Amino acid sequence: MFNHLIMAIIIFSLTYVLIMSEKVNRTSVAILGAVLLLVFKVIDQEQALEHVDFNTIGLLIGMMIIVNIMKRTGIFQYIAIISAKKAKGDPWKIIVVFSIVTAISSALLDNVTTILLIVPITLVITDTLEANPIPFLIPLILVANIGGTATLIGDPPNIMIGSAVGLGFMDFLINLAPIAIVVFVVTMFILKLVYKKDLHASQAQKNKIMALDEKLAIKDKTLLWKCYLVLGLTILGFSLHQSLGYHSATVAIFGAGLLLFISKMDPEEVLLEVEWPTIFFFTGLFILVGGLEEVGAIDFLAEQVIELTKGNMLITMLLILWGAAIASAFLDNIPFVATMIPLIKSIGLMSTMPITPLWWALALGACLGGNGTLVGASANVIVSGMLEKKGQKIGFLNYMKVGFPLMLISISLSTVYLLVFYA
Amino acid sequence: MRKLINAEVLEHSMKLQQMGGKVNVVNSKLCYVSFDISGFTLEYVYNINKKGNYFLERIKPYPLPLREFASEQDVVDIIAIDLEQFKNAIRSHHSGEFVDSGRCMVDVLKKFEDLFLYYNISSDNMNLLSDKMHELDKIISQVKSDSKRLFFKKEPDNL
Repeated sequence: MFNHLIMAIIIFSLTYVLIMSEKVNRTSVAILGAVLLLVFKVIDQEQALEHVDFNTIGLLIGMMIIVNIMKRTGIFQYIAIISAKKAKGDPWKIIVVFSIVTAISSALLDNVTTILLIVPITLVITDTLEANPIPFLIPLILVANIGGTATLIGDPPNIMIGSAVGLGFMDFLINLAPIAIVVFVVTMFILKLVYKKDLHASQAQKNKIMALDEKLAIKDKTLLWKCYLVLGLTILGFSLHQSLGYHSATVAIFGAGLLLFISKMDPEEVLLEVEWPTIFFFTGLFILVGGLEEVGAIDFLAEQVIELTKGNMLITMLLILWGAAIASAFLDNIPFVATMIPLIKSIGLMSTMPITPLWWALALGACLGGNGTLVGASANVIVSGMLEKKGQKIGFLNYMKVGFPLMLISISLSTVYLLVFYA
Repeated sequence: MRKLINAEVLEHSMKLQQMGGKVNVVNSKLCYVSFDISGFTLEYVYNINKKGNYFLERIKPYPLPLREFASEQDVVDIIAIDLEQFKNAIRSHHSGEFVDSGRCMVDVLKKFEDLFLYYNISSDNMNLLSDKMHELDKIISQVKSDSKRLFFKKEPDNL
């Protein structure tokens, strides 16, 4: 058993370091790390599979399929053009309207998908305005991560927490959406102070925006109506899944299956666009963390945390909130959350403290912490990569000057929220 | 990587749609093929997609659009013939001059297109260009008549 413990810790630590270094592909490392646990007989294959959270995997795949079909309708371009025209081409108003659209989409789809859909459209708008895209994109990164915090399906950490603990869509909406809205409003107010003075557009440029034709964006009206129907049903299903006794993955896969069927799209074309590397990354991580659980390493860590906080829920909650935020600002939050979930479960079993507030602290810290730096969340990395391909650079420090203070403010607001409602 | 490419496609599509274009995005594979014939490089690019279209283009030693094909086998067959023809052709004492002339023709074609797109040319000049083209066409036919044919596996596409 002791050898297994040492082996599990070595494999897990090496995998973690390699993932964080970003020198090698994170999916390759997670798969190799997971299978090494089997090769060295730390856990067997059956145990490994028991630790894979198929609810998280199913939810991710289901939502990816729905979004992949939906984006083919052109609805996101349509909404963006309407929004830009409602803002009359005024740059700051466009940022505000796009931020609202991004935050809502992030909450209902997921933040990375939203960014991948909204940023290309924003770049068309900034090209039309002949404006620097950076003041448009930094707010979108920030609000995508804020919007994703609000719901079960908005950000992978929430999906993992909800699935592991049995917290549903409405639990997340009721407990996290209020603070997410407050953080959104405060963030937009501060961003206005930072960027508004530098945003200008001539009447000719505004006229170009007004000349955009939203009707040209819709590619397939019939498919669009089918997507509306399925997305509506899916969101309704998420709202009711606990009372109906369904897992969230069942709802997402039902939506995906129904849309695949009624859209008559080639499943091969749609499934090709599912982010399989992300799915395998999650699978590998679940097995790696499962290995740590099996050998007792997680229980050991939980004992240390309880000793450090003397079993005080308040201290533990704040430690988790701020620890998750700082860690997520610099590291990939998915492996962090994957490790924290069994740790918090063990704390709950070993102590008498109520652990539900700890889940909200973990979700808020992991999701909002990602806003701290340019490498803090997938959405940030993607936007940075897209801009670099266009020959522009946000810059780690330039982003951090805005992102890090805003992250600290959002975590401070979350601290007050948790203290007022859960202490 | 795929998601970033998709994001770029979305950006381009939106711009092209606003210009009035209809954009149909098709998943496909782009294949680059190169042959080294005793230091002489022959390169092709072809695209295969599920819609049943195969686009093949020669890119080296000089670019030449080689048409659309109905099946992968047609693509392989046309490359096989082209390869064999080039293997024969480079044995010729004039292979270097042929390649240079081919590049020159492509260059002339590009310049001709620029004339069309950028300038309003007079009727006299248009006639002059047309005469010279016909003259070159006649010379090529004359050279063909004066020359011994070496390749018989396939009939020439244009002569």
